[in-house]
Amino acid sequence: MIGYFARKLGTYVLAFFLGATIDWGIPRLMPGNPVQIYVAKFQLQSPGAWEALNKLFTKAFGLNVPVWKQYLNFWNGVIHWNFGVSYTQFPEPVSHVIFSAVPYTLALLVPAITLSYVLGNRVGAMAARRKALDNTILPVGYFFQAMPYAWLALAMAFFLGAYYRWFPIGGAYAQGMVPNASWSFVWSLISHWFLPFMTVFLVSFGGWAIGMRNLVIYELETDYSRYLRSLGASERLVRRYAYRNAVLPQLSGLALQLGVVIGGNIVTEVVFNYPGLGNLIFKAISGEDYFLLQGIFLFIIVGVCIANFLIDIIYVLVDPRTRLSMQGAQA
Amino acid sequence: MTKRTRAVRLGTAFTAAALVAPLINMASSASAGAQATYPRNETLYTSGTAYNPPNNFNPNDLGSLYTGTAGLLYEPLFLYDPIHNKYIPWLAKSGGWQGTNYVIHVRSGVQWVASPSGAVKGALTGADVAFSINLAKNNAADPWNANVSTVQGVSVSGDTVTVHFSKTPAYTSWQDFLWNAPILPASTWSKLSTTDQLTTANTSPVATGPMLLASTTNTQACFSVNPHWWGTAQLGLKFRFKYLCDEENSTNNQELSQLLATNIDWSNNFLPGISALVNGALGGNSGYGIKTYYPTKPYMLSANTVWLDLNTTKAPMNNANFRQAVAHAINTQQIESSVYAGTVQVASPVGLLPSLKSYVNNSVQSKYGFKYSPALAKQFLKKSGYKGQKLTLEVPNGWTDWMAGIDVIAQDLNAIGIHVTPTYPQYATRESDLINGTYDMALDNNAGIDATPWSYFQRIYNLPILKQQSATLNWARYTDKTAWSLVQQAATVPLSNTAKLKSIYSQLEQRFLQSLPVIPLWYNGAWFQGQTKYWTNYPSSTSPTDQYTPIMWHGWLGAMTTIYALANLKPA
Amino acid sequence: MTASPGEIGPAAGVEEASSLGSSSTEEVGAGSEPVLGPVGSIAGGGVEARATVAAGAPVVGAPSGLGVGPRQFTGGRRWEFLYFALRNKKLLLGMSVELVFVVLAIIGPAIAPYNPSKFVARPNLGPSGAHLMGTTYFGQDVFSQLLYGLRDSYLVGFLGGLFAAIVGMAIGFSAGYRGGVLDEVLQVFTNIIVMIPSLVLLIVISAYLKTRGILFEGVFIGVTTWPWVARAVRAQTFTLRERDFVDLAKLSGRRATSIIVKDIAPNMASYLFLVLILLFGSSILLAANFDFLGLGPTNTVSLGTMMNQAMLWSALQLHVWWWFIPPGAVITIIVAALLVANVGLDEVFNPRLRAT
Repeated sequence: MIGYFARKLGTYVLAFFLGATIDWGIPRLMPGNPVQIYVAKFQLQSPGAWEALNKLFTKAFGLNVPVWKQYLNFWNGVIHWNFGVSYTQFPEPVSHVIFSAVPYTLALLVPAITLSYVLGNRVGAMAARRKALDNTILPVGYFFQAMPYAWLALAMAFFLGAYYRWFPIGGAYAQGMVPNASWSFVWSLISHWFLPFMTVFLVSFGGWAIGMRNLVIYELETDYSRYLRSLGASERLVRRYAYRNAVLPQLSGLALQLGVVIGGNIVTEVVFNYPGLGNLIFKAISGEDYFLLQGIFLFIIVGVCIANFLIDIIYVLVDPRTRLSMQGAQA
Repeated sequence: MTKRTRAVRLGTAFTAAALVAPLINMASSASAGAQATYPRNETLYTSGTAYNPPNNFNPNDLGSLYTGTAGLLYEPLFLYDPIHNKYIPWLAKSGGWQGTNYVIHVRSGVQWVASPSGAVKGALTGADVAFSINLAKNNAADPWNANVSTVQGVSVSGDTVTVHFSKTPAYTSWQDFLWNAPILPASTWSKLSTTDQLTTANTSPVATGPMLLASTTNTQACFSVNPHWWGTAQLGLKFRFKYLCDEENSTNNQELSQLLATNIDWSNNFLPGISALVNGALGGNSGYGIKTYYPTKPYMLSANTVWLDLNTTKAPMNNANFRQAVAHAINTQQIESSVYAGTVQVASPVGLLPSLKSYVNNSVQSKYGFKYSPALAKQFLKKSGYKGQKLTLEVPNGWTDWMAGIDVIAQDLNAIGIHVTPTYPQYATRESDLINGTYDMALDNNAGIDATPWSYFQRIYNLPILKQQSATLNWARYTDKTAWSLVQQAATVPLSNTAKLKSIYSQLEQRFLQSLPVIPLWYNGAWFQGQTKYWTNYPSSTSPTDQYTPIMWHGWLGAMTTIYALANLKPA
Repeated sequence: MTASPGEIGPAAGVEEASSLGSSSTEEVGAGSEPVLGPVGSIAGGGVEARATVAAGAPVVGAPSGLGVGPRQFTGGRRWEFLYFALRNKKLLLGMSVELVFVVLAIIGPAIAPYNPSKFVARPNLGPSGAHLMGTTYFGQDVFSQLLYGLRDSYLVGFLGGLFAAIVGMAIGFSAGYRGGVLDEVLQVFTNIIVMIPSLVLLIVISAYLKTRGILFEGVFIGVTTWPWVARAVRAQTFTLRERDFVDLAKLSGRRATSIIVKDIAPNMASYLFLVLILLFGSSILLAANFDFLGLGPTNTVSLGTMMNQAMLWSALQLHVWWWFIPPGAVITIIVAALLVANVGLDEVFNPRLRAT
């Protein structure tokens, strides 16, 4: 078992190493020189001043050393939690920019994902055993699941925001407010949070519910369920077993989602201009802040690695079959 | 069932924890002593300038400085009024040429004040002015280095600063220095290393301007009125608002939302559809109370000339007849009406902004100028010997109005038989295409508002052409040595000698119209929308006493008459 | 296959019936393979494609094992499928909706009243007889744009699904059938592909392209969404290669490719078919997301770019709802119909689900 985990861990470390290296290469793969673009913002009319500034900022961004050294510096930076300087927000460090966006993304996505998971699974399981529910909830679930985030977000922003003006659209709190611990500020936070939250919640809710419904129906028709029934087990007992089995893939799905939560939900955050990481990614793209992009994606890579590893562990802990088969294999 | 209950509880706990997270984060990041909220009716909210969070207030870092760094904090020696085409003494009480020396009398009663405390750090002296000029002179990377290239030395005597020039002073670029370059405090700035002088974030500025930097969050910088500002006593300028908060820009449409929701008072964004909203009603709303500089078309002042750059080192763009064909084929009027809904003006053939129309020789322009005519365009195309090459026309991705604009242009060009595909590369790619000359055709708007036509023609004709045209000069890579020597000649003519200047510029205009190295299309607007719910009396073409530049952009706020516009605002 | 079929209890049951999670050690290695179901990728785009991967992932978990087994595709079973297919309401509903839109997509440009990019009327007109769905900020006809965009969305869905299926199957079959070192290498490769955020990749590639077309977008979606297909196919192949009929084929000395194509793949045919449908839907949604972020094809109208343009040109603020509601609604209907048809098909292929 330890050998199994060691092998897995090795795979993920390797994947992380290669992923991070590719990530490091991205700004360097882009056509155009980021420093050149930064200096272009000065709108200089003198080639001489341009040269001098170019040199100055090449140094400021740490690009004045050979590539292999930049690569070593990158890993050194990763170890020391230092991802360089953002160039759309010069001289702000990338890590600082990222950390100021993380709370918003967490506040938006963690509740949306966990709540939709809990409710979606319950509703899905209920739909699986009641025909009436199945015929009403199922179609609704499909529609939610089939909606592009962009559209649901736009529709909600239009009807509830722009048209009826029940909710504000744009930002995490009212423009002009300075964050403070007052009720009016908290209320502002919540009212700005609600629409993007609902967007993510509804789409994921549809997904979980449909998934659970299909899994439970499938489980209820398996041999073991039939066998249980033939042994005279109560329908409740059968369903409990079915639920327990069906929830497994859902659980690993949840772990994976929470692992990549750090990436934010770009489309939703963009529509509502919610200042999380998704929006930051979008801004970094439009502003071509490759150092910032590089930093964010390193976070995502770490998240994906950890999530995948956790899924492996969850499977071993939760699913006795896995344990069994593994022992068999290792023996 | 207990398991599920637990799951629900777990979910709720997660939700609560996640909601609290930003609160804690922000409570810790809010700077100590900052105002908790700024009273709405005492605060002017502005936006449309900053595209990054407020973390840089260094007037020398033009790449990252936040709104207000120049203008609200640091000030130049003079202001330029483009609407009335005159200079206004600012930190200089007066200034003028004496032979090849320029003598500045520094204004007295100006204080260096520290933000956010408001502590006075001493008076502005001639030494500060001399320091600022020398700073630009001695550091090749200083953004104003080229403006002081002919300065030989600076001498100070009390409040009189004498700037010594070489035999032929570059009058025009020095003049630009006077109304653009910020005067910095010698006492604090001299302590910085030469690199830091250009790159430090300068978050506790010591400056002379009308406002103090009060607080910053991730998305806004708030300024409070500087009680020690010299302008109140000496010019009678007094802001009726106590605070000014400038919001970081998001997308144009988000900013329109904020303006309509009256969260923003003063917007310098391009807002699609604004002309429909200025007087119109929508969704049962009886109008939004939005003001623009002109109450009707063109609504906006003109800010810069949009050029169609043609890469003249490539065929067929190297052929003057081909360029004439392109110029005659484009229906700029359609772009003005459909893409901009009347908020821009079609450029004159010469392309100089309306504020410089006194320099345009009208007889030259009407004789050699082009106009929209597909028939003429086809004739020129035939003469050019265009062989059907497939060409691209690029603008940066995300510049939505330009993207829509080049779609129209491409349709027009294809209609007369020029095969053009519009492309929207990322900004960096487009920038490197233009710098390295690896493009066919592109739009650019480097030719911004200026006090003289000099920079306009410098941008067109600058020589020599380098492998990388890194400065924003001659992206068409067009070689015309006669024109370039005329431009150089104009630089050394004193601005007072208008007859001489006009004759040189008239020759340049003729050469330009005959060869068209770039094609002027339209004037980008100086976008301004004022929301009248909390503040009124915005600058307007219809008010004889309030014709000021309503623009917070860098290069306007700390250089033109925006401060006057701000001082004229009244509570609603 | 370690658990014996006779064992009582859920564990053994599931094990026997499907490859839900873990029918072999190596499969546990894949670990998350049931997680990365197609419907999951359906829900998102770019980075959040992964964020939402799990949302519907299990849907695939359900059909994944069902078609497996040599018995399924012998003799009259085919006709039996058709019989059930014609009686499955879900399948019929989903397919007829799809049919309507496919026909519209094919004849759309022919019946579109206007050129979708030409400025043909006054801007921001509401729906009327002359302009069924109103006009855009520029005065373009929204209905015409929709008809043209529909075709592009279908094309992207088809191309994306096809490429993902091809790459995913090629890698999944090789890894699953060969096993050993090749499998390990392919797994690491798959993990890395999963880890590279597709959005970044798209940005990098886009930077080198003057223009992006439908073909590019389709292929791009294909080459970034194959990993879960590969994982699932690999898992399936693992279970199948242990079966007697494969052993027999091996004994007869046939080449690996031949065994995969002639013996293994046909036994997963129903499963692969479902995968293809879900890939198709997910590609349409992914493309909508890319287009919405402005990373879609240039110089053409798609349903996603319509929403993108609507947002950029203040359709929300100017209350021009007719510009962005129709394209999103069409995408939703197309994808929902696919999902419904998919469940219907699942029931057709899986005799056990038919009963209920």
